[in-house]
Amino acid sequence: MNHGDSGRIQYDVFEVFVQKTQADPHVHMGSVVAPSPDMALHTARENFLRRESGVNIWVVPRREVTATPYDDPDYFAREMDRKYREVSGYSENGRLWKMYREKAMHLDDIVRDLEEKPLRDR
Amino acid sequence: MTEEERQARFMERLERGEKIEATDWMPDEYRRLLLKLIHMHGVSEIMGAFPEKEWVPRAPTLKRKLAMMAKVQDEMGHGQLLLRVAEDIAAPLGKTREDLVTDLIDGRVKFHNVFHMEAPTWADAGVIGWLVDGAAIINQAALLETSYGPYARVLKRICAEESFHMQHGENIILALTGGTDEQRRMLQDAVNRWWESLLFFFGPVEVTEAARKMIQYKIRTKTNEELRQQFFNKYVPRIRSLGLTIPDPDLRYDEKEKRWRFTPPDWKRFSEIVRFNRGPKSRDRIRLRRFAHEEQRWVRKAMVRSGAAQSVV
Ligand SMILES: [Fe+2]
Ligand SMILES: [Fe+2]
Repeated sequence: MNHGDSGRIQYDVFEVFVQKTQADPHVHMGSVVAPSPDMALHTARENFLRRESGVNIWVVPRREVTATPYDDPDYFAREMDRKYREVSGYSENGRLWKMYREKAMHLDDIVRDLEEKPLRDR
Repeated sequence: MTEEERQARFMERLERGEKIEATDWMPDEYRRLLLKLIHMHGVSEIMGAFPEKEWVPRAPTLKRKLAMMAKVQDEMGHGQLLLRVAEDIAAPLGKTREDLVTDLIDGRVKFHNVFHMEAPTWADAGVIGWLVDGAAIINQAALLETSYGPYARVLKRICAEESFHMQHGENIILALTGGTDEQRRMLQDAVNRWWESLLFFFGPVEVTEAARKMIQYKIRTKTNEELRQQFFNKYVPRIRSLGLTIPDPDLRYDEKEKRWRFTPPDWKRFSEIVRFNRGPKSRDRIRLRRFAHEEQRWVRKAMVRSGAAQSVV
């Protein structure tokens, strides 16, 4: 932050993160310039939450952010197949279950069934 | 790496469809073209709020007034987001936010021709939302694919909000169309007033050197004329379906060439309006912008000082 007597005023850049609900992570929305963290919060709300709702905002001075480079593709290189870590790596389960006259089960089904069929009184 | 190698690597990134970020190396030419485009876009959003703001106190109902205020807020918000993007591009050139703002009030950056014009009736407020925002949306939606990442991200938000402006404008003109003869006359007059400005808005038919470069750098992907033709496709049938007349007797769709033929706007008059701020409302609105910038400087300064004081405590 600096200001000469020429009337030039330089604000700090703050990166803005908004949390939509407490079940969501904070998501980067963009940035604002402001003279202080308080004003940055205020400007962030005006810029990014005129319609959408939110429960929390973080503003972080840009100079405090440490980031990876964009122009080094090697940084994110996947040197080997990672199918073994993923759901899609186990698609043969469906075929195997069929042999036992059953269907493969997925997380979505579990979540849906829990929502649709609440536990009966015991 | 030599300069040529860097340039070649940059072009390869663009060819692969990669987005460029503020911190990446970029050719000076790319930086300057981006800055020119986004700077003008940003200040145009701000100047775009002026004709509409004039209608906030005069809107016919409370609901219209609230919607109008929301729109004005959105346009100022778009200006802030875009200037934020422009600022990061301008920094290595030694330009600051303050410069970007004073460029506008000192006439060193242009803003869109449509915002130099008068909006004398309530129907103008409707036509601005319907057709001016409509034209702007075509422009901005075509830029969503831009090679510059920070611009693409900001445009996503802007386009979402513009779609509200479009609905809001359509709602006003549909209400007027369903109103009295006088209201329909007022609407026709407004369409007559705006038509030529709307055609000019998309820019010259020929592909200028700067436009060619921007397409080469994938900053934009469509030519002015492609966008203008899109506008005709979408809006000519709708304007006519309301029983309104388009003030161009030569406007027609050429089946053979698959394009609209139209009477060109007065290119010379409009470019002078934009270049020298010589439109009917240019001076008034810039004066107001200057007033806001200069008379509130002390507030911005005071906030910096209190910010500094806070961090001491
Ligand atoms: Fe806008
Ligand atoms: Fe708009």
